[in-house]
Amino acid sequence: MDVDLPCKLELIADLQGHDERAWQVAWNPIKPLLASCSADKSVRLYSYRAPDHGCDTVAFSHVGTIPTGHTKAVRSIAWAPSGNTLATGSFDSNIGIWEREDASDSEDARGKVADWECVTLLEGHETECKSVGYSSSGTLLATCSRDKTVWIWEVKPDADFECMGVLMEHSQDVKCVAWHPSEEILASASYDDTIKLYIDDPSEDWYCFSTLPGHKSTVWSLAWSPRGSYLASSSDDLTIRIWKRVDEHTWKFVLELKGHERSIYSISWGAGRATSESLGWLTTTGGDGKINVWEINESPSSKGPLAAKLLASTSGAHDVNDINSVSWCPRPDHADMFATAGDDGVVKVWRVVCQ
Amino acid sequence: MTGEIFNANPTVYALSKRSTRKSKFEAGRSLWVDEHDQPKLTDESDIEPIDQDEIFDLIRSIADPEHPNSLEELRVVSAEQIEIGHNHILVEFTPTVPHCGMSTLIGLSIRVRLMRSLPQRFKVDIRVKPGSHQSELAVNKQLNDKERVAAALENATLVGTLEKCLEPVGEHGSL
Repeated sequence: MDVDLPCKLELIADLQGHDERAWQVAWNPIKPLLASCSADKSVRLYSYRAPDHGCDTVAFSHVGTIPTGHTKAVRSIAWAPSGNTLATGSFDSNIGIWEREDASDSEDARGKVADWECVTLLEGHETECKSVGYSSSGTLLATCSRDKTVWIWEVKPDADFECMGVLMEHSQDVKCVAWHPSEEILASASYDDTIKLYIDDPSEDWYCFSTLPGHKSTVWSLAWSPRGSYLASSSDDLTIRIWKRVDEHTWKFVLELKGHERSIYSISWGAGRATSESLGWLTTTGGDGKINVWEINESPSSKGPLAAKLLASTSGAHDVNDINSVSWCPRPDHADMFATAGDDGVVKVWRVVCQ
Repeated sequence: MTGEIFNANPTVYALSKRSTRKSKFEAGRSLWVDEHDQPKLTDESDIEPIDQDEIFDLIRSIADPEHPNSLEELRVVSAEQIEIGHNHILVEFTPTVPHCGMSTLIGLSIRVRLMRSLPQRFKVDIRVKPGSHQSELAVNKQLNDKERVAAALENATLVGTLEKCLEPVGEHGSL
């Protein structure tokens, strides 16, 4: 029950169109574009515009569908920081790299988006690719798979990619990869219940410098805090863990959050609309179809414990369906807006409204 | 699949009497209950809660992957091993031997059968009976990992094997 929580979730768009389960949503970091991917093997793109005098909410419209050509579900999508390139990771084990055919970037008067074409297909994983992610500089791409490996690719000019390392640290499927928001630190989460952190040794190769144990089942999702001093993880053990950076290469478990009845498939950490001591807003969702939004605060001394306050909670957000993905809009003027993707094939956009 | 037989000589049990009540979800084999084929359940009081026997009827005739018997005949599944909660179903099954390499396939066939027969609102958990399998945790984890299940169902070879196990349940509706 939504008892006495300070905020509510307002549904601002209900975007139907996928024929099967929608696995992930991703906001373009530069342009007003939202992408979703699905077991129907397609990626759908939506543009949105800010409220104007004609309309008082953000309006979304479908502007394109990429059939992708992947032979199995598209499990994961990620935008490059430039906003010009999209990566797709599929159960067919390949990674597609997509760019607009029309490089001149001149959208016609109707705002129609030109076609997207596959400029590169990255092969190498032996089984299903489960997650893809670009580093903050856009020079590196990480991918992971049920084959237990994490691959790091260097992004070169002309859609050329070079594999910089194959990390075989996990003993089971790797479910998620996530890059630090400013440094070249990669985190991966696995079916083996652990999280691993990697950096590049300038004289050697990429290597795992830390393993974070503690979850009692599959770790499904990872989210760095906006400034990168914390990492959050969500798990099949029905908990969310927050890890604090206490030293350059040392991360320590500092807070556990509960509030879901089934696997927590996705977690996203946004800047939120808050005060200076706030670390931002964390949203979580999963197999119970519930969305929770937390405000995370550091104690003034920064030595004390973290404080988490539940701002809003909604059950049945995609009717009876599981929710597979949640993601905050990265635009500062829409910091209270996030999107979700569910087993109903629907993408929904929500706004946190506080009294 | 390997040629290895995990239990060469299983005990075959007599079938229990079939429940006379018919599950309303048994109308078709389609993945979703088609609204047009279903009696209209507009009045809330018309909705009967689903019970153990109905779930058992849906899975009892699934074929064992390595024997010419049903899961019921081998006592792999039983009505007593089914728990029903609010929009939640827990099915426990008992592999015939603790090293049964077919356990994940059996569990997957139960999951697919229920997925195809039940309305989407039901969340289903499938587990082996505690103590009945040497890799109990691994089997349970795999059967309840939605991503692994989704990927398995895009594997044509595996789906072919699954459909063989599920063949008998097709006839079941007309019995």
